[in-house]
Amino acid sequence: MTVTNAINGLDNLGQFARFVFRSIAASVESCRKSATYPLIWAQMNIIGVHSVPIVMVTGAFVGMILAIQAYDQLAAFGAEEHLGVLINISVVKELGPVLAAVMLAGRIGGALTAELGTMKVTEQIDAIKSMGTDPVKYLVAPRVLACLLLTPFLIIFADLLGIIGGYFVSVIHLGINSRAYWTFSASGVELWDVAIGVIKGFFFGAAIAAISCYKGFTCKEGAHGVGQACTEAFVASFISILALDFALAVFFKAIYNTFWPIKALI
Amino acid sequence: MVAEEKNNQASGINSNGVIVLKNLTKKFGEKLVLDDISLSIEKGKTTVIIGPSGCGKTVLLKHLIVLLRPTSGDVYLDQQRIDNLNEDELNQVRTRYGFLFQGGALFDSISVFENIIFPITQHYKITDWGEIDALVKNKLSMVGLDGFQNFYPAKLSGGEKKRVALARAIALNPELILYDEPTTGLDPIRSDVINELILKLQKELGITSVVVTHDMTSAYKIADRIIMLHKGKILADGDADYIRNHPHPVVQQFIHGQIDDEDLLILQSGETTSPSQFVSQNSKK
Repeated sequence: MTVTNAINGLDNLGQFARFVFRSIAASVESCRKSATYPLIWAQMNIIGVHSVPIVMVTGAFVGMILAIQAYDQLAAFGAEEHLGVLINISVVKELGPVLAAVMLAGRIGGALTAELGTMKVTEQIDAIKSMGTDPVKYLVAPRVLACLLLTPFLIIFADLLGIIGGYFVSVIHLGINSRAYWTFSASGVELWDVAIGVIKGFFFGAAIAAISCYKGFTCKEGAHGVGQACTEAFVASFISILALDFALAVFFKAIYNTFWPIKALI
Repeated sequence: MVAEEKNNQASGINSNGVIVLKNLTKKFGEKLVLDDISLSIEKGKTTVIIGPSGCGKTVLLKHLIVLLRPTSGDVYLDQQRIDNLNEDELNQVRTRYGFLFQGGALFDSISVFENIIFPITQHYKITDWGEIDALVKNKLSMVGLDGFQNFYPAKLSGGEKKRVALARAIALNPELILYDEPTTGLDPIRSDVINELILKLQKELGITSVVVTHDMTSAYKIADRIIMLHKGKILADGDADYIRNHPHPVVQQFIHGQIDDEDLLILQSGETTSPSQFVSQNSKK
């Protein structure tokens, strides 16, 4: 039984890898064909533009909660004016990107899996094939490109609102000096920190789209099959976001440590 | 009788079939769905595949256009093997086909007009939209639905969906049309409309049709040849009269829609319970 499960797991992984490879090839081809641009714009509108409010709300709450939770600890040893550094570096480097991506995995990933899964069980994907069109090019590539290109922008929105939310609670509610708040923030947060968060967005976006589309394409028959595919897509996306976040943190830390000594020269 | 069917099939394969299946077997996991099927589809004729639900009719139909790949065996289109082509090559081959899916498989997020032009936009660069409007009008007129261009699939009845799907299937003027249960779920009059459409397309455009159905009225009306599948094998293969007079009891049972003795015995031996009896035997929540 364990051996069978292991074989099935490997088989599934292999199929997912082939699907990702086909999706990358189709996405690159789509970028070169202007005829597919309207499909990409449409998905950008659904995936990107419509996600802005929810991502902004997520970011704002992250900033506000951090301010409330961290204030007492810093105030205990008179360092409350450093609150800005803690909030802003946490928001732009980790919590903004990760929580925005998790929110997108729920909002977009679920919708993509449900949409493509329903298309699969109602034979619409077979219909696309029967008319001589590659469903990966027609359905997956625009969604992958939209997620890949717009998740970093959505993370910028989450960061922005996280910073504003943190400022609002720290300065207006907790009474920290505004000038000190921004001065410490500016000295503690580098462009590098912001860039790391935004770059993570490309990886998170691609992972969410690839996993969700794959789960939709391989969904089993019936309402239960679609529901199960959506659940699996969210769980797999969530785990992937955390795993990618860890891998990228290690990678960027190594890069930073390599270049930090010569930073002044750069 | 089995030898006779084999001879019948063999003669079919030797003919100049537009689609030829050779020793086709399909398994889903351990489940054998199609068992060593060989047959040839003749050009310009309507071949009807009948058989009980779950006998592999739709699976067979999907192999004809390689929407499913065989576990073993070959599929040929005009003497060219197509089951081993890659997806890009298959996409070129598939433009020669039209496929009418059982539920229509219309794209529900776009209008009837956009559904019909979908295959055209995928393969041609449209420069003259007036010509496209006229083409859509023509295709919809053929299925009796001109004026439905701006409707969405959700607003259409089951029969209308199937007719729009048929208009989409013929948008690229295919040489072959595969129909998956085209009359299932339709009233007898709507079913006959679909039957007449299939006949019209065959007579006027010389289209080769393969129809999967278990509607015998439809099968007798449209078929040049009827193939009966049973447990993944071809049980009978011939014209309507041959099938009507086929001596095999399973064929006779199917074409006359009769329950088999074993099932009848189970039904008769089981006790029926009225709702009031059921409630009295079980406590209500």
